[in-house]
Amino acid sequence: MTQSVWGPVRQEMSDLLQSHPDDVPAVVDQLTKLQDILGRVPPLLADNPLCDFNKLYLTITEGVLERLYGGKFKDPAFLSRLDVEFAARYFDALRAWAGPDTSPHCPRVWTGLFQRIPGPDCRPLPSACAGVNAHINFDLPFALVTTFDHLGTDPIDDSDQHHDYLQINEIFAVAIPGLRRGYLDKWQLLIDTMNGRLDDWWQGEAVEYTRNVAWRNAQKLWGIRHDMSATDKERAHLDRVAAQLGGLLLSPLGEFLQ
Amino acid sequence: MASDEGDDGPLVGRTDTLAEVQSDLRNVGPGGTAAVFVTGESGVGKSRLLRETARAMSATGVAVLSGTCLDIGDASPLHPVLQALRQHDPELRQIDQTDDPGALLDRVSRDLRAVAGDKHLLLVLDDLQWADRSTRQLLLYLLAGLGGIRLSVLAAVRAEALHGAHPLRRVLAELRRLRSVRVVDLSPLDRDQTLELVNAIAGGIEPEDSDRVFKRSGGNPFVVEELARDLRDGRIELSDTLREIFLSRVDELPPKAHAVVHAVAAGVEPVEHTVLARVTKLPEDELIEAIRAAVAHRFVASAAEGYRLRHRLVAEVLESEVLPAEAAALHRRYAEAMEGSGGADHARLAHHWQKAGEPARALPSVVAAARSAEQMYGFTEAHRYWSLALDLIAGDAPERTELLAHAAESAHQCGEHQRALTRLAELANRSDAPGRCELHLRRARYLAAAGRSATAEVEYELALQAPDCAPRQRASAAAYLAELLVHLGRYADAYERATEALDLAAENGTTADLVRASAALGFSSAFREDPDAGLAVIRQAVEIAERSGHPDDLGVAYLHLAELLAGPLNNVEEGVLVARRGAERLASLGVGRTYQTRLLAIAGNGLFRVGQWAEADQVLEAAMRHRPSGADAVELLLARCRLWVGFGDIDAAHRDLDAVATLLAGGGARHVLPMLTLRAGLAMWQGRWAQARAAVQRGLTETRSDDLVLLGVLAWHGLRAEAEARAAGDQVDPGAIRRLKTVVERMAEGVGTAANPVRAVIDGYIDLCNAEISRIEERHDPEPWIRAAVAWDRRSQPYPAAYSRLRRAEAALTRKTRKATAVVALREAYATTIAMGARPLAAEIVATAHRFRVALADDADTVPINPPGPEPDDELGVLTQREREVLAAVAEGLTNREIGERLFISERTVGVHVGHIFDKLQVRTRVQASRVFLTAA
Repeated sequence: MTQSVWGPVRQEMSDLLQSHPDDVPAVVDQLTKLQDILGRVPPLLADNPLCDFNKLYLTITEGVLERLYGGKFKDPAFLSRLDVEFAARYFDALRAWAGPDTSPHCPRVWTGLFQRIPGPDCRPLPSACAGVNAHINFDLPFALVTTFDHLGTDPIDDSDQHHDYLQINEIFAVAIPGLRRGYLDKWQLLIDTMNGRLDDWWQGEAVEYTRNVAWRNAQKLWGIRHDMSATDKERAHLDRVAAQLGGLLLSPLGEFLQ
Repeated sequence: MASDEGDDGPLVGRTDTLAEVQSDLRNVGPGGTAAVFVTGESGVGKSRLLRETARAMSATGVAVLSGTCLDIGDASPLHPVLQALRQHDPELRQIDQTDDPGALLDRVSRDLRAVAGDKHLLLVLDDLQWADRSTRQLLLYLLAGLGGIRLSVLAAVRAEALHGAHPLRRVLAELRRLRSVRVVDLSPLDRDQTLELVNAIAGGIEPEDSDRVFKRSGGNPFVVEELARDLRDGRIELSDTLREIFLSRVDELPPKAHAVVHAVAAGVEPVEHTVLARVTKLPEDELIEAIRAAVAHRFVASAAEGYRLRHRLVAEVLESEVLPAEAAALHRRYAEAMEGSGGADHARLAHHWQKAGEPARALPSVVAAARSAEQMYGFTEAHRYWSLALDLIAGDAPERTELLAHAAESAHQCGEHQRALTRLAELANRSDAPGRCELHLRRARYLAAAGRSATAEVEYELALQAPDCAPRQRASAAAYLAELLVHLGRYADAYERATEALDLAAENGTTADLVRASAALGFSSAFREDPDAGLAVIRQAVEIAERSGHPDDLGVAYLHLAELLAGPLNNVEEGVLVARRGAERLASLGVGRTYQTRLLAIAGNGLFRVGQWAEADQVLEAAMRHRPSGADAVELLLARCRLWVGFGDIDAAHRDLDAVATLLAGGGARHVLPMLTLRAGLAMWQGRWAQARAAVQRGLTETRSDDLVLLGVLAWHGLRAEAEARAAGDQVDPGAIRRLKTVVERMAEGVGTAANPVRAVIDGYIDLCNAEISRIEERHDPEPWIRAAVAWDRRSQPYPAAYSRLRRAEAALTRKTRKATAVVALREAYATTIAMGARPLAAEIVATAHRFRVALADDADTVPINPPGPEPDDELGVLTQREREVLAAVAEGLTNREIGERLFISERTVGVHVGHIFDKLQVRTRVQASRVFLTAA
């Protein structure tokens, strides 16, 4: 490829993505560096939608790190592994991104956001939410399964790990002051339309709701994880659903959320 | 996924990769192993790369073994490796029942060693994404050097598999951090390489045609080759998809060859000739002719062990073309053919019966496969077979009850807690379910394993209250409950339960229950400050176990006694004695390898703590000879590594840390923190503060907030790294210091609620931490160090005590106060470290002594050896400072290796210095050099 989607920061981008962080401090470090690089991608510079997402993600991960240092989690080894594995998927998507139609290994849900980097401009909040959507609705269930598998335990409701996992919702709530009640309701409605699971909807709230969907999806994936073709099918399904939702968030329709 | 060996197209664009892979495979790490994992999409040429590499390395005298993992979903444990071994030597016995999982891995390693002889071994594994859990564990075991084989592993993994939640994803992510492991991502060919490949196959192709090939193939070499053949054979319109290419070719096949191709596609490769004959029902002559045609049309590849389709991609194309009824019929014939030949692989047979749509006939094979997987400790595989068996059987079938019981237990054994509980719930609803007490007991055990202690406790209570609870079950439930309470730290409750359990067990229980109850009673008493009573109970348990003579009882009893003595009671010497006696006792019976290993690990760790390092080394060496695996191996390697770090043997420490990291790539969060502590300790001796800092920070984020001992060790390492950095004139990290101070505060707050024996240890670390903080702040205050030394003396741990004395002396000497007592402390520290063999610490003490011009011993001249600067007319003036140090050591009669250890430089660097010294002094031997040194000094 002679021309890179990253333009003048191509080299910096590929250098940064060479490293694979293996603990939460390293993830924060990588996201910080990424924030700087993303802010220099023309033509929108710091106004590009990925920048908006990365910023939110960085804030949230810093929040996680702070709580880890503060000894706030019951099973910090689990949460650290999850955080690292979760971030790895975002970095993987970035690595796989070479432009529209030339990134067969980049999940569609991420492709949707990435191809908006050169414009047209869209509002920061829906952009950040499109990223959150990709990361939580698509990446998170797989990150959960991999983490549980690695630690030799399984996703059980009401376990220490489940409680720690739910704590992240609080961090989200603090990190997204823009996510007010009214907005959340609308977003819920959207997600709900996409996922078609009304029963779950009534129990949850927005990001929290989405993250619980991710937990449920992880439990579902857990059951079929030894069956590679079934996992692939589920992966494609999740990618499709999340990509459609992401498309909506980035469309003019997404504006109504602001 | 192999294609025909003789039928390969030219290899384009992979020359560099091929060379690099070979060089990486030869470049073994400190543990004598290396690995290359090739990832890439289907058809990109992974198998080809594997084959070419194997061929090239085999030609240079490397022993090569190749195996392929099966995609039938449920293969038998260790399939690819056992297949590779059998292919090498068909006479090889089947692996039969062994004592424990470690013994099984040892057996396989022995066979691999026999194949390798005195050669280096290359193990090639294709389609690793389909490897069963046991195979992955064997791979890590071998790569960690535990098999005692110098080997390299070359494996291919489909990139598609790594995108989801495949376990290999994490394994590779962890392994790629090791210097001896490479992950090579094989990318598609670029435009020029595609052009080259097209021309090599078809020749004289128009540029626009090869451009079209590039566009349609996306540079995938397999597709490029097929499209190029189309061009060569004059097909006007290039097919758009692989599917079209092959479907048009299928149409051209003679009918019988057609049948052969479909039969092979339905089979599990490689398909043996005799099996194929039965499946196709063709007479020999016709069959051979049909196979020839299928090979000529590039569908089938033939090798000694059987037939395969040329590529997995072809199988996928054909799969969608076969009618379901046709496929079912083929699978039935396979199953019948395999049953007819006898001694079939249960896993394959089950696969075919299932695909044939005759689940009932699959059942016996599935059950057989489950049992044989259990025999090979493949609990994950066994669990999947039991689950499969349940899927095959109707809800009202009477066999279901027994299958459910097996499925629940195997799920529990392989850590699928949720599944175990679900199965148990179904079992409980059966009309012929086991009794209520039995069910509560099992549910409690599963819940406890899942970490749901509160619910588990309730279940044990329910088991005890169940009306059908037999006396023996009651004893067992009470003992388990007491054990659970000890783990929860509820010593008062545990004590009560254990007392009750002991009474029950004494009357009606098994020896195992008796031992379990005694241990719970012993530990809870010890923690409740009645150590003697606790000790008496456990000693009695050992006696009971001795009478029963059962290896499990003996092992558990000795383990508990040794742990209690060396742990909470801090009677390390006796703990070590008991551990060694227990290990000898079991060895004399010739059983209980795992228990022997664990007992020796306790002895080794105890000896380390009391400063008998040479002895610890021997004990650990003996334990390693048992060839441990899994968590036992990790614990021993960590213990040994701790010793290397203390001795200052950097290479050996790195080797063991790499081995630990390799094993932990397969999982095991519990051991990550000790590994990080050692990594920090090692980095500190090497002056790599950033590394030490990073290891500690990671450790702090992953330690439970209630594990104050671990936090203490980490915080001390972190603060010490900062203090050392400051002393060396390097940057300190204020953020890290702030966080570490918070941790120390947290420890100080929490220590009050800790049990007594634990409190002493935490206090010791708090003392060390505060002392390091004073060092970071350059207060040169001997007081906190004096406190720390006293605390560790009281714990009878000479190493941290000696370290504290060194720092105390340093602070006092810097302040120029109470010099005499400081010198005494420094000498004491020196004597201790020399006796232990703690070379890096001894070297620091010597350096400190030099700095302050203190003699370390009355009879040794340890006042500055090196003059402050080179004197011009000194014969040694031509030497650099470093060269003088080396020469001084040469004059002491040390070898290069010993000099390297003392000066913390590599043996080779020492050699270089010695060469320069010889040149400058114009001498030719070490004796001559020493004479020059001694005359000048």
